[in-house]
Amino acid sequence: MENHYKELSYDVLVVGGGIAGGEAALNLANIGYKVIIVEKELSIGGKMILLSKVFPTLDCAACITTPKISEIDRHSNISIFTSSEITKIEKKAEYEFVAIIHQKPRYVHIEDCTGCQLCEEACPVNVEDQYQYGLVGRKAAYIPFSIASPRVAAIDIENCTLCGACERACPTSCIDFTQTDEYFRLKVNSVIVATGFKLFDPLKIPRYGFDRFKNVITSMQMERQLAPTRPYNTILRPGDGKMPDNIAYVLCTGSRDKSVGNPICSQVCCMYSIKQAQLLMGALPMADITIYYLHIRAFGKGFNEFYGQAQEMGVEFVKGKVAKIKSADNGNLFLRYEDFEDGIVKEAEHDMVVLSVGILPNMGIDDVFDGEDLNLDEFNFIQQSDPLASPAKTSIEGVFVAGTASGPMDIPDSILSSGAASAEATSYLRRIKS
Amino acid sequence: MNVEKGKTVKFLKEKMTVDKEVINNLKSFNKSKKAIINSLKEGSKTVPQLAKDLNISTQDCMYQLMSLLKYGFVKTGEIDDMDEYFYYELTEKIR
Ligand SMILES: Cc1cc2nc3c(=O)[nH]c(=O)nc-3n(C[C@H](O)[C@H](O)[C@H](O)COP(=O)(O)OP(=O)(O)OC[C@H]3O[C@@H](n4cnc5c(N)ncnc54)[C@H](O)[C@@H]3O)c2cc1C
Ligand code: SF4
Repeated sequence: MENHYKELSYDVLVVGGGIAGGEAALNLANIGYKVIIVEKELSIGGKMILLSKVFPTLDCAACITTPKISEIDRHSNISIFTSSEITKIEKKAEYEFVAIIHQKPRYVHIEDCTGCQLCEEACPVNVEDQYQYGLVGRKAAYIPFSIASPRVAAIDIENCTLCGACERACPTSCIDFTQTDEYFRLKVNSVIVATGFKLFDPLKIPRYGFDRFKNVITSMQMERQLAPTRPYNTILRPGDGKMPDNIAYVLCTGSRDKSVGNPICSQVCCMYSIKQAQLLMGALPMADITIYYLHIRAFGKGFNEFYGQAQEMGVEFVKGKVAKIKSADNGNLFLRYEDFEDGIVKEAEHDMVVLSVGILPNMGIDDVFDGEDLNLDEFNFIQQSDPLASPAKTSIEGVFVAGTASGPMDIPDSILSSGAASAEATSYLRRIKS
Repeated sequence: MNVEKGKTVKFLKEKMTVDKEVINNLKSFNKSKKAIINSLKEGSKTVPQLAKDLNISTQDCMYQLMSLLKYGFVKTGEIDDMDEYFYYELTEKIR
């Protein structure tokens, strides 16, 4: 294996190409540092690129993300490795890190693909589209999503029938089934970890019936339904295509809940649910929206006003804890909940339920560090060694953390945290010379 | 290794076998695609009507139909009198 490594050298390695990693990379590239972004997905952009609009301004998420992503993509000081993961990072000495990158084959030559989608049309396969969170299918030869970066095809080899239809349809002959895994040995002076978060898996709360009842969906699935690149023609129940008119939100699904192993608040679910409720009232003017909550956390700038705006629009807020969800034959759902105001157990009928799933740590990145340990906090997010004075510092000098890799936060805070990480990295790199 | 550009799938076919599940999934998609298209040739239908006609669950019907909508075989028509279910019909690609 040793002599199969291709050698690379950059100033900074950014692990994770979400909004936090992208922003940190841009800051560093703009002052002249050479940056490499290593992203495990087929596209950079993380979760943000898949959102509909953002609270509390209701700006379109794609309209903010797309120009930023294209700036990152075009920047002469930034190289992007997609479909790639870091398997090892070793600190040899101060300012001297050696990392191993494993790049999986995409079976498409990125530089030759024009994104014409003829391969997609030709491919006979239909499998669940992971970027639409399973609401609709996609082909095995596919462009991940319309605003992906790079916006080029990839072959999902696990679901490919090897029929070769895509290759015959491709006008530029960019599809290449001879591609294999590639390994790179990378030398850098500093590392930024921006591996983001994972969504809580609602299957862990079987009494909410997710997956068993198709009209119980996650907030990320609703986010997709509300986005311009939505899976359906409008907001519909995945169970039978009905346009819902009485939607319930269950806040704190998988957050502040010791029984599922996540005792902390996810910080963004209250606000994104209030956002979705407002968007739904626009999309479905006749619909009733009810939000079941324990406490509303509207702590940021403009957040409380945003909450008030939703109340004025007619969104109903019920302080209570949902215990169980049952389904009726017509696909409607019965929510059994404890009403905290009246102190009694009640039941309510809705025709669609959205579980406002929480934010969990994306585990595993600490395992790749060799020699020095990258410490985690008690909730398994990356530990900030000096959270008050230098929030981007980790347990390893020269390794910094940006965005939700260090804990739940929204987009503005992720961007602020990337600013901190890039400033800390700059100050570290400047010390090489002195 | 010398593999002709545009014909590289042969190379991988010699190295790898396709999973049975992948083949079965393809067969079942082809089957439901054909059934949905045939049923919609009779006229536009809602998801519950189509599911009843094909004797499949409404959720499977929804997933397959929305995939065909995405691939351009089907388009959205009017909504029913109760403002609940849309009718779906075939596109020019089929007719
Ligand atoms: C339903 C929902 C709605 C939301 N709505 C809003 C909103 O309206 N406004 C708002 O401010 N915030 C919102 N948020 C929060 C927002 O999504 C996050 O604040 C933001 O996406 C965090 O960005 P990030 O870059 O830290 O993480 P991510 O977006 O998770 O990006 C991390 C990236 O790192 C990659 N990665 C992970 N591990 C590795 C690895 N080992 N190697 C290589 N790459 C790796 C991932 O593939 C991903 O691309 C919402 C969240 C949810 C769930
Ligand atoms: S070879 Fe695979 S990806 Fe290409 S068209 Fe056939 S099934 Fe689809």
